[in-house]
Amino acid sequence: MMVFVHGGTPGVTPYVSGPHIWGSVLQRFPQANAIEVNGQTIDAMTQQIRKAIDGKGRCHLVGHDLGGLVALNVAIEAPQLVSAVTAVASVAASPTGDGVGDFTFAYPPKPLWSRESQRWALERVSYSHYHIDDRLLDACVAAAGKQPPMTPETYANEFVPSLMKAKSRFYEVCRTDGIKVPCQIVWGSHDPLATFDHGLWLFRGIAQKQRVAQFHVINRTGALPFREEPAAFHQIVAAFADGH
Amino acid sequence: MAQLPEGRWLDVDGIRTRYFEAGSGEPIVFIYGGNFGTGDSASSAYTWSLNLRPLSEHFRAITFDKLGQGETDNPKNDDYTMAAVVRHAAAFISALKLAPVHLVGHSRGGYAATRVALENHDLVKSVTVVNSGTLSPGVGTNEVVLAKPPYAAGTRECVRWVYENYSFNPKVVTDEWVDAVMYTLSLPKYQESVRKMGSEKLGTKLFLPELAREKRETLQWLNEGRLQRPVQVVWGFDDRTAVIDRGIELYQMFARHERRALFHVINQSGHFPFREHPERFNALLRRWVESLA
Repeated sequence: MMVFVHGGTPGVTPYVSGPHIWGSVLQRFPQANAIEVNGQTIDAMTQQIRKAIDGKGRCHLVGHDLGGLVALNVAIEAPQLVSAVTAVASVAASPTGDGVGDFTFAYPPKPLWSRESQRWALERVSYSHYHIDDRLLDACVAAAGKQPPMTPETYANEFVPSLMKAKSRFYEVCRTDGIKVPCQIVWGSHDPLATFDHGLWLFRGIAQKQRVAQFHVINRTGALPFREEPAAFHQIVAAFADGH
Repeated sequence: MAQLPEGRWLDVDGIRTRYFEAGSGEPIVFIYGGNFGTGDSASSAYTWSLNLRPLSEHFRAITFDKLGQGETDNPKNDDYTMAAVVRHAAAFISALKLAPVHLVGHSRGGYAATRVALENHDLVKSVTVVNSGTLSPGVGTNEVVLAKPPYAAGTRECVRWVYENYSFNPKVVTDEWVDAVMYTLSLPKYQESVRKMGSEKLGTKLFLPELAREKRETLQWLNEGRLQRPVQVVWGFDDRTAVIDRGIELYQMFARHERRALFHVINQSGHFPFREHPERFNALLRRWVESLA
């Protein structure tokens, strides 16, 4: 089974993700199951995904952004539940270093979480705006109504420390025992939130100890390559599954 | 282990050409690397022995011995140039009457595949370039890694040493692979090419200067966006002779002009990712061709 784990937590990003973010690409995978991720920390999200897949056979986890780090975390904690991980545009998992400030989401139009504000955010992270249709925006607005955004206090006091802790453990495992399941990184060539090098260094981390590791770049896509080039995305993920 | 199908012969503009094919459907033509007249290694169609049969279950998979390599005749009139290799490859594809084909080129074969496409767009549906320092801009490190093998040229030990140094895992260099190289090296017509390139100095006087001139032109054409076909770059991450930076530069050159441009990196692989990870390479290629069919 393939399990899709979204990123885009409100309060971390100015758009509200959910199972809807995958769009039409899910129809290309016959055994796709898109999970709705909740939780205010990486650990809480990890436990939720782990619980959701427990007892369902080994799953290929496909995680976007935060969801990529969560998927890798599940593979570290419970490799017996995971057949492979595909981390997509997972800026959250890539090395931070002393990076320069990213202003992509600096000044979102208000009111936050409105249709126009979320459209703005999605356009900002895309190569082209053409994939941002009414269906996506309706779903984003509906998701915002269901899930209160993370408060700045929770973000600073709980989420960010959990993220740093999860990343630190991830890179330690990459260096020592290695991730125990095949992993691949899929990157958008024009992701404004992360450079080509961010993706390549994330791959390099995994490649230290995991033999089956791949890195892929999809041209003319931003932070949502599965929406902008669903055929190419499917081709890459399906080939990884074929090669097991 | 998959083997090549029975070889066939085709007359290509007067050049007796050895080729191998299997399967039906979308045509894929594989072009291996290396060049004629090398004394310490020798490529042939065998290079694709782990790929042709598995992919022939889905497509019409074809490979051939390039001009002057493997069992194919040497160039006429001492035309030991990459331009002659490219002309012969294009004429071979035309003679098959299957065009347009999906071209897959490795190393020097990646250059040849791209140049065939640039000069003969109607013959080509897509291009896959694998670990090609010849095509990529930037510094190739082949001569650094493979300088002066510690064994006599033409011996099994030398051949094994060369391919082990190309690879991430030296164990992928099997006796069968070495046997295939030794067979090519033993052919009188191949030894003639070694003499031409070596003692008659056609390698340094003709082949390399002509390749350098045409590479400049090829890179200029790519930068102008003349390829105009879907293209993917596949790279073995641990190749010391054509390091990953060469692959990135090449991909970015393609991607400026072609929407359908993909970059794939395969871990724990040297110069021959399709031999070190055949299942993963074959899966990527299969999905690529299916997406364009």
